[in-house]
Amino acid sequence: MPEKRLPDELDEYLRGDSAVSREYRRESAPAPPHALDRLVLKLALRSAKSKARLGSQSLAPLAFAASVLLSVALVLAIVFGPQAARRSDDKPHVLKVAAQVSPRERNPAVWLEDISALRRAGRDSEADIEMRRFRSAYPDYLIPVSE
Amino acid sequence: MLPTMDSLDDDAGLMLRYKAGDAAAFSALYAAYKGPLYRYLLRHVRNAGAASDLFQEVWSRLVATRARYEPRAKFATFLFHIAHNCAVDFFRRDVNLRTEIPAHEHHEPLLEPEVPEHQRPDKVAEFAEQQSALLAAVAALPQEQREAFLLREETGLSVEEIARVMDVPVETTKSRLRYAVRKLKKSLSPMQESEMLPLRTYA
Repeated sequence: MPEKRLPDELDEYLRGDSAVSREYRRESAPAPPHALDRLVLKLALRSAKSKARLGSQSLAPLAFAASVLLSVALVLAIVFGPQAARRSDDKPHVLKVAAQVSPRERNPAVWLEDISALRRAGRDSEADIEMRRFRSAYPDYLIPVSE
Repeated sequence: MLPTMDSLDDDAGLMLRYKAGDAAAFSALYAAYKGPLYRYLLRHVRNAGAASDLFQEVWSRLVATRARYEPRAKFATFLFHIAHNCAVDFFRRDVNLRTEIPAHEHHEPLLEPEVPEHQRPDKVAEFAEQQSALLAAVAALPQEQREAFLLREETGLSVEEIARVMDVPVETTKSRLRYAVRKLKKSLSPMQESEMLPLRTYA
């Protein structure tokens, strides 16, 4: 029966005993042309060289430089960042020396409160100086009657 | 057949070395596999020009994907799986009917018609070998049977490994090999059969 012979045929073939395999091995064994050899080997060599170059140029110095930059940026942010500004703003306004702050950076309402505080503290001459500076900085600002 | 079939783990090791940038490891792999791979492609696609192109494509893909290489199987399985995929792509895009004409019905070398023969003497020589009865019968096999047979003969891979290369079940691979062997046996000339008969009788 053909169904029973098929496994034997395959087994024989897989064992390498088949006449087909023997005949096939007797055939010529063409190899790729030398030009193709050179092409493939050149491609592989070029690729390996680029890999080796990448390997020799360690990324460690770059990583170190990046971490230093990050650290410096972090320190600057802590010292001079918004949190630091908020801490300095916590001081009482009346104790601030108004001249240390640029007129353009001051909030007009806060500035007027500071001037009022100076007057309440009896520092009228300083209050007058601040008021003149205020006028020059905000000539159009409508000052409440109390001022 | 590959000369180093018993040292396939070594081949995976060579591939790992190449992955790390060792060009000499690639040269060793290439020397071991170039012949089997070339013959597999040549006798599978039955067109010398296409075989050369595919040969180059297979190695190019291997080079390009080496960074992702992990030795999960024999190196031969890995390499010939790439080759199988390249061949599948080739057959998919190829619309040249000449490549599908069985070699035993075709007495001219299977060259691309637009290229003059005198410009491709190496390819003519390669296809002259296909005048042998067995290789003509191999060329006449259905594509899947031909591939299974060539993988077995050129790489010595097991049925399971061939199944893996071809992305088909093991039983399908066995079936393809059975039919291929049966057809090829029939194709052997009566003279060859009679030459082999005394060996079988008295061995």
